[in-house]
Amino acid sequence: MKRSFRYWHEVVLAALLVGLLTWAGIVEPQFVRLPSQVELSTHMWELALLAMPMTLIIITAGIDLSVGSTLALCAVVLGLTYERGVPPVIGAAMAVMTGLAAGALNGVFVAKVKVHPLIVTLATLAAFRGIAEGISQGRPMSGFPDSFAVIGRGSCLGLPIPALFVLAAAGIAGLVLMKTPTGRFLYAIGHNETATRFSGILVDRIKLWLYSLSGGSAGLAAVILVARRNTAKADLGAGMELDVITAVVLGGTSIFGGRGNILGTVLGVLLIHETREFVSWHWNRDELNLVVIGIVLIASVLLHQVFSRKSSRLDAMG
Amino acid sequence: MGNHDNRTGLLQRVASRREYGALALLVVTVAVVSAVNPSFLAVGNIRDLLVKCAPTVLVACGMTLVIVTGEIDISVGSMMGLLAAIMGIMTSSDRWGGPVWLGVVVTLGAGATIGLVNGLLVTVARVPSIIVTLGMLTALRGLTELLMRGEWIENLPAGLRFFGTGSVWGIPFCVVTALVVVALCAVLTRDTPLGRRIYAVGSNSHSAALAGISLRRVKIIVFTITGLLTGLATLVSVTQLSVIESGIGVGFELLVVTCVVVGGTSISGGRGNIIGSVLGVLLLGTVGTALIFLRLGEQATYWERAIQGVFILLAVLADHVARRKERLA
Repeated sequence: MKRSFRYWHEVVLAALLVGLLTWAGIVEPQFVRLPSQVELSTHMWELALLAMPMTLIIITAGIDLSVGSTLALCAVVLGLTYERGVPPVIGAAMAVMTGLAAGALNGVFVAKVKVHPLIVTLATLAAFRGIAEGISQGRPMSGFPDSFAVIGRGSCLGLPIPALFVLAAAGIAGLVLMKTPTGRFLYAIGHNETATRFSGILVDRIKLWLYSLSGGSAGLAAVILVARRNTAKADLGAGMELDVITAVVLGGTSIFGGRGNILGTVLGVLLIHETREFVSWHWNRDELNLVVIGIVLIASVLLHQVFSRKSSRLDAMG
Repeated sequence: MGNHDNRTGLLQRVASRREYGALALLVVTVAVVSAVNPSFLAVGNIRDLLVKCAPTVLVACGMTLVIVTGEIDISVGSMMGLLAAIMGIMTSSDRWGGPVWLGVVVTLGAGATIGLVNGLLVTVARVPSIIVTLGMLTALRGLTELLMRGEWIENLPAGLRFFGTGSVWGIPFCVVTALVVVALCAVLTRDTPLGRRIYAVGSNSHSAALAGISLRRVKIIVFTITGLLTGLATLVSVTQLSVIESGIGVGFELLVVTCVVVGGTSISGGRGNIIGSVLGVLLLGTVGTALIFLRLGEQATYWERAIQGVFILLAVLADHVARRKERLA
């Protein structure tokens, strides 16, 4: 069989998405109307924003479990600075800087100390959430001005403002992956890190940047989330890392690295988002969602394995 | 793993065994806290600490086996939630009111079955274990909430509550269970062919397969054991509570994996042991209690997770330093 067309996974995801929306249009015509879709889309932006750097990290065979906790830490920084009279715009900038610093800490441990990213980010998952709880004493902070809420709820050129951030992030990540040497290096690291290192590519520097960017995106997501909810609290984004990873993996990025793209991630995010919103719209049962998404995740990878099963006889020996 | 050259110095041997990092941190923590507040060492407090740690120890034993084979199971928290719901619905006098033995059998059986399904998906269907168990983490939690319908389950039969609150010769039943399981798992890993196979699969699955070890069988067994032990942990921990709600076990998987890693088990497989994981659980369990006994006031308890996170990073750094020394030596 010749491999001429590389985007079967994306085609299947798109078909599933169209199928889901068609079904939704038949049983719940209101659901697929543009105003409801725009309204519901507000639930998706933070997830989408975090999924972009996560795709790049997973392509290098890494992982970042700390994004939910980083988001909480940044949100708390934003809330605390606002309480002390710092204008929200500067507070937002500080939140993003906090995210970058938190991500850089992950990056240093992964790239310089050479600890498995799963361990590093598991540790900072606890540490960042803990620091957020510690400095805020678990207290919610609210009362942000309306001018700040625009970042989360306003729209520009007919698009919600958070959507602009997400489009920019997706555009940059997609271009980097497809059109730049760095993008090729990311795949190379995921396939064979040692070989990439021996080719003279600065693997450590790339990783440091990736994890820092992931932290920075969590900072930006925190700003959007706080602006939308008008509350900053240390429990924001709990468990979000798993949603993000689910979306990325559903989008066809291999958890072992070396394979994946932004288009897949965008479709993965959309599919999860639409499934979730439709299930809670139609059955009004949020818990059903979890069951569906869990099964879809396992099934998507399972099907992928079945269709790509040909190589590696030794694997089958087990 | 035990057969180190006798000529190597004590220091090197200490550095080459990763669980000593957790032991050292544990000793320091206990020493500092009991110096500040001697009542930390009171029998009652030690007992509470052990009761708190027992369920984590049980699941950590299974998780150690899974991680040593180079896989991971992050579904244990959701599995515990589901098993608690099933156990409650089977036995509560408000619900089906089944006999205690049935509750025990079904909880353990369902745990082992879910573990078996995880194992089959990982081996036969060849889906990476982090994906399988991430999917299970999500799906089982949803299933739990569907079963519970947003209500609480009360009135567990007294016979069942013995598993959580009863004592044998003055020692809480859950602690006895944990001790027995730790002993069994330690023997399993050190002195049985299966134990050696588990390490072989994790060290180099290619050579293990060539040596005639069935990777499938070994992995299915460790996932099933983890499921069974999660059932056992549910049985001895959930019965300590008077009500069962759908949030039981949320985040438990991260705690267990953290403890195992702090205890010196390598996340890439092939290295680690049961005793190290037990030390990891005790260390992280002590941190929470210690903050209360240091009399730092209400605010300090909010820092528990931050300190746990820092301890993991410390354990990881210590390991990094030890490995660098090893390489230089």
